[in-house]
Amino acid sequence: MCHVSVGHVARLFEEAGIATVVIAIKAFQRPLESMALPRLVITPHVKGRPLGAPGDDERQRATILAALNLLDSAKQVGAVVELPGGYYPGR
Amino acid sequence: MPDDPKQETFQEFKNSFAYGSRTDLNFKFLKGLSNEDAAQFFQDLLWKLGDSFNDGDFDRLIKHVYQWQIRAYSKEGKWTYTEGPFTPLQKPVSKSRLALLTSTGHFVAENDPEPFGAKNLTQEDAIKRIGEFVKAEPELSSIPVDTPQENLRARHGGYDIRGVQADANVALPLERLLELEQEGRIGRLHSEAYSFVGACSQLRLMKQAGPKWIEIFRRHNIETALLIPV
Repeated sequence: MCHVSVGHVARLFEEAGIATVVIAIKAFQRPLESMALPRLVITPHVKGRPLGAPGDDERQRATILAALNLLDSAKQVGAVVELPGGYYPGR
Repeated sequence: MPDDPKQETFQEFKNSFAYGSRTDLNFKFLKGLSNEDAAQFFQDLLWKLGDSFNDGDFDRLIKHVYQWQIRAYSKEGKWTYTEGPFTPLQKPVSKSRLALLTSTGHFVAENDPEPFGAKNLTQEDAIKRIGEFVKAEPELSSIPVDTPQENLRARHGGYDIRGVQADANVALPLERLLELEQEGRIGRLHSEAYSFVGACSQLRLMKQAGPKWIEIFRRHNIETALLIPV
């Protein structure tokens, strides 16, 4: 349900003229894509840790950069980028 | 657990991880699986654990849970739309004002939103009261982006908060965003981040809370938002 709430925030903000990008885990990809969101970054991470493992600064940074790049590049609704790699705690 | 565990069926067992006697928010998805699928999940988990006894590689266990989370959550939801709004960014991110908004249920320690008027509500309380949260209007907490991690709190009855307790940046990436602002990749990071409990009434979110949040963003001339669900 959390992801649906954020999907609705994205839609409301976009209607109000605020550009948005959503970072979400792969498990939420299908329900979020079905909400016709403008920009979506999908991460191969586990629930509750969408940007990567605790302490994995490099991964967290790469995830945010993917979102910022998508904000700059997306031209129409439904822009989706999947972050490669995996979820590796303790590194 | 039931008074007489011998009477517990497998279905009751798997369902007990979702707001039952064995609540574990990492594994509440088991309730949504058929008995056959849940049995497969446990059998494969144990088999892979046996492999890990040999090589010490436990990544396969994480991958296993990750794959089953995808399988469990990938059903199309109640809220589907064929079209959506799109606002093009007027300036590059490196020249825009950006704000972070998450559904992680974060707040600053001394600024507890006190849902339902309850003081010092714990994570365990929030889990028990999840039924009330999902019917309520969500409240937005403001979090100064330079808040030290030790002053952050997370309370949300829908997910395991141990990840964000270990490192808030896994879902509320204040430190990473400040670094990217420093480097010039973000023009201006808004001085406040925002968070709410994503387990909430969708109708109240859309009709009541959302319009108020838009006003906040407009007042601060925020041009773009990074949104993160958990």
